[in-house]
Amino acid sequence: MSIFLGSTVGKKFLMGITGLIWAGFVLAHMAGNLLIFFSNDAYNSYGHALTSGNIIYIAETVLILALLIHVGTAVLLTRANRQAKGSAYVVVSQGKKKATLASRTMAVQGSMVLAFIILHIITFKYGTYYETNVHGIVMRDLAKLISEVFSEPGYVAWYVVCLVLLGFHLSHGVGSTFQSLGLMEGTYRNLWKKLSCVYAIIVALGFISQPLYIFLSAH
Amino acid sequence: MANKLDNKIPSGPIETKWTNAKFNNKLVNPANKRKHSVIVVGAGLAGASAAASLGELGYKVKVFCVHESPRRAHSVAAQGGINAAKNYQNDGDSTYRLFYDTIKGGDFRAREANVFRLAEVSAKIIDQMVAQGVPFAREYGGTLSNRSFGGAQVSRTFYARGQTGQQLLLGAYSEMMRQVDAGNIELRYRREMLDLVVIDGKARGIIVRNLLTGEIESHEADAVVLASGGYSNVFFLSTNAMNCAVTAAWKAHKRGAYFANPCYTQIHPTCIPVHGENQSKLTLMSESLRNDGRIWVPKLVGDKRHPNDVPESERDYFLERIYPSFGNLAPRDVASRQAKYCCDEGRGVSETGKAVYLDFADSIKRLGQDKISERYGNLFEMYDKITGQNPYQQPMMIYPAPHYTMGGLWVDYNLESTVPGLFVAGEANFSDHGANRLGASALMQGLADGYFVLPYTLGNYLGGAKLDKISSTHDGFKAAVDNVMKDISKLMNIKGNRTADSFHKELGHVMWEYCGMARSEVGLKKALQEIPKIKEEFWNNLRIPGDVNYINAELEKAGRVADFIELGELMCRDALERKESCGGHFREEYQVDGEAQRDDTNFCHVAAWEHTGDNKPEVRHKEELTFDNVHLATRSYK
Amino acid sequence: MSGKHINLTLKVWRQKGPKDHGSLVEYQAKNVSEDASFLEMVDSVNEELISKGDEPIAFDHDCREGICGSCGFVIDGEAHGPLKSTTVCQLHMRNFSDGATLTIEPFRAKSFPVIKDLMVDRSAFDRIISAGGFISVNNGNAVDANAVLIPKTDADEAMSSATCIGCGACVAACKNASAALFTSAKISHMALLPQGQVERKERALNMVAAMDAQGFGSCTTTGACEAACPKEIQLTNISRMNREYFAATATKRPKHKDGGAG
Repeated sequence: MSIFLGSTVGKKFLMGITGLIWAGFVLAHMAGNLLIFFSNDAYNSYGHALTSGNIIYIAETVLILALLIHVGTAVLLTRANRQAKGSAYVVVSQGKKKATLASRTMAVQGSMVLAFIILHIITFKYGTYYETNVHGIVMRDLAKLISEVFSEPGYVAWYVVCLVLLGFHLSHGVGSTFQSLGLMEGTYRNLWKKLSCVYAIIVALGFISQPLYIFLSAH
Repeated sequence: MANKLDNKIPSGPIETKWTNAKFNNKLVNPANKRKHSVIVVGAGLAGASAAASLGELGYKVKVFCVHESPRRAHSVAAQGGINAAKNYQNDGDSTYRLFYDTIKGGDFRAREANVFRLAEVSAKIIDQMVAQGVPFAREYGGTLSNRSFGGAQVSRTFYARGQTGQQLLLGAYSEMMRQVDAGNIELRYRREMLDLVVIDGKARGIIVRNLLTGEIESHEADAVVLASGGYSNVFFLSTNAMNCAVTAAWKAHKRGAYFANPCYTQIHPTCIPVHGENQSKLTLMSESLRNDGRIWVPKLVGDKRHPNDVPESERDYFLERIYPSFGNLAPRDVASRQAKYCCDEGRGVSETGKAVYLDFADSIKRLGQDKISERYGNLFEMYDKITGQNPYQQPMMIYPAPHYTMGGLWVDYNLESTVPGLFVAGEANFSDHGANRLGASALMQGLADGYFVLPYTLGNYLGGAKLDKISSTHDGFKAAVDNVMKDISKLMNIKGNRTADSFHKELGHVMWEYCGMARSEVGLKKALQEIPKIKEEFWNNLRIPGDVNYINAELEKAGRVADFIELGELMCRDALERKESCGGHFREEYQVDGEAQRDDTNFCHVAAWEHTGDNKPEVRHKEELTFDNVHLATRSYK
Repeated sequence: MSGKHINLTLKVWRQKGPKDHGSLVEYQAKNVSEDASFLEMVDSVNEELISKGDEPIAFDHDCREGICGSCGFVIDGEAHGPLKSTTVCQLHMRNFSDGATLTIEPFRAKSFPVIKDLMVDRSAFDRIISAGGFISVNNGNAVDANAVLIPKTDADEAMSSATCIGCGACVAACKNASAALFTSAKISHMALLPQGQVERKERALNMVAAMDAQGFGSCTTTGACEAACPKEIQLTNISRMNREYFAATATKRPKHKDGGAG
């Protein structure tokens, strides 16, 4: 095990697994967000249901651990990679052999997404606590909080930018995970690639639709 | 002197010679093998396979290569394939047939016993390479595929796309690297051998220049294997790689190893034609293309029409016309010469008039573009890249180019040269191809020498020779180092005005003109006047910039050109003395209806040249060739 | 064969030795035939330099037919230049326009130290191969070549991986200087063939370890290697290597000590 994790291949494997955990989480998160399109009550009830059991603690622990490992390995690998490269080229490739933007800027996107996650948690999880009553149950009124936050154009813009970056990060990251896990060959090679692109677009658009919807319906 | 050319062919019937020789060989016991050291110069197919086998046996092996990695040796560029008498196609192949085809292909100028051994071990080479993981082409049933090559009427050529040499070399290289990992081989790369050290009449080491630091190093051993390749670059433009040189072999020659049949050079018929003055090398298009391509020129002299506009009736498919039974698969020397004749008549194509068409239109019609692309896709792409023309849409243009040298250091049946303890393998020796090599036989010979011959014969030498312990501080090494240093400083101090390349081009031009595809007494004599002039100017007007103690490509080139000039002179003398036509050596005076006319009465022998000192004429020795198993016939491919 | 000629401005990385600082130096390449290869163009610049008494530009090259893997440098940020599936020796000048300025740099990676100008030391690749890029079969006693049947598709796939020329363009193009494409091509080639099965796990473990030990970076699947590869070695090889490595670490058996025989 220590040999495996000590190797670059093992570390990428670890990044892939932890990345997939988060990829699963953001998809569910995005789906939950869409409840706002039904009604504020549906949205709030969903949030309430999630937080009322103990399961939330397990989920949070897993997610935090996964994030720490993901980011930690990323930092280690990025540093090692920069060292391995040594000096950069004077002229940067612009032609047919250039790698995709998403793949070249994973570390930058990752850092932005990390900053976004932290701010996002501060804004919402630890944001103003409004209450509401849905069918006799008192619960947190997150719908009110988000409609407040997303009525500000600056916030919406910041969100849209970060979510586009998240999309980029996922589009390369999820596909790359299949590569790191050793599944990118044979018949399903292109399928995995396409699936991860479709997935990334759905997640990004799904997330963006919420602040945009709230902002546009408020103005 | 006569005993120096003892070919040591074992007695007995040809089928049992090698078996007997192996049994009669002296052996070295496993514990003693570790005490013996062997130097291998060159890491192509012959060198790498020899080093891998010797390392595996337990000898201490040191490998030297001029490249930055042994994987870059020029064997890597062989495209078409490797012959083996497997008879997998059930088309009547056998050891005897491969033996006969090779002897006949070489125009009866090779040793029967050597060639028979080559044919005998050929099948084992394929087994060995497959076991090493060489991904040869296969049929849908999982068995190995074969294709046909020139000079044979059976399909016995094994191939890996158009990269057979690469795959075989990487196979031998990886086996060698396994021995490096196991500690049996010490690998020294970017080293060029600049002298052979002979002590008490035996080869005991080499002097090399470290191409990175300029340092002159001495290395001692109990035996030296030279696998340094051929000398086609004497023509400047050839299909050989830029670093291919005669230097290692030539230095050994100057230390007493006879040079055999230097005039036997092969001009390959299917190369991309010359485009201009700055061209640095010629690119081969695999002979396998002749399986499906048809060679033609317009019937009319000076026909400048686009090839696709020349109607069928106005095309001359000259190989099919002259050689109906072998057609486009006539042997290389024959095909090259006929192409030259067409161009000499003014029917050549391209702007220079020095090219013929190789046309795939009929095959594409018959088999479909997909099938042709599957067979030759990478070759077609390469052609397109180099010429900017698409061979699926118009015929390729090809012209003969120097490709391989059958001549080389003289060796006996054991691959030992006239210097005891100096063994020579692969293209560097002269042994198996006579006056012309058949396609797909070079890879076979390199691997046969390295994997299947040297491990036995070298053991026999080490088991029998009395070898004193010496070190690289021995006087013999000191003298050789001084010699090398003197040569280098002589070159560096000329400080003239011309580059090494300019001399190389000039020499190449003379060699191609007078000692190329067709030779004549008048031409060769002219060349023998020209070459000394080039030599004279070289030693007075050469310019080498840069530092002697660091990477200096110009110094490397200059040293090689100096040796090529001397070799060129010997080639012309050899060609002049051989008053007959045979295989790749075509003397215009000796022909019948445009075909080579051998003189078996006077020239059924190997000419081995002895170096007698700088600026002294070389002495020609003969090794008579006897043919007990094949009938000496006029080669006919009609 | 167009017969046309062009003029170019070259900015070439000149560096005396491994420890020296390098810089770009400008040269003019005049009247270059479009039919010449890129290396022939550099040859003629060198001839001019030598005639002026300057040192020629050092670069590795040998076969000049795209198979030995000796040549390779970076033209305008692209390993082996702008054309795909090509080495610089097979890159012809008809792919450049008259009057263009080209920047030529050596392959850059810490594990490929510059020796001089455009020459780099790629012996790290040899060390990766010697760690396990072989099938241990002693010479002379192999079974008949047709004794083991290999499906054509497997043999073809193995061949596609084996076609790597070890030029190092993958490392040069990768922002991480990863040798994953090179290493995986060899691991794949042998993992796909029945002959490679016995040492399959050892090979994956040892070659990946060697790749890391040589100081190459990790693969982040940018695909730059695949785009730069003159032999079109595919990214799928890297995926296969990852799986081989994972399977090997997960199922590796401990080594047992040999007993003395008799």
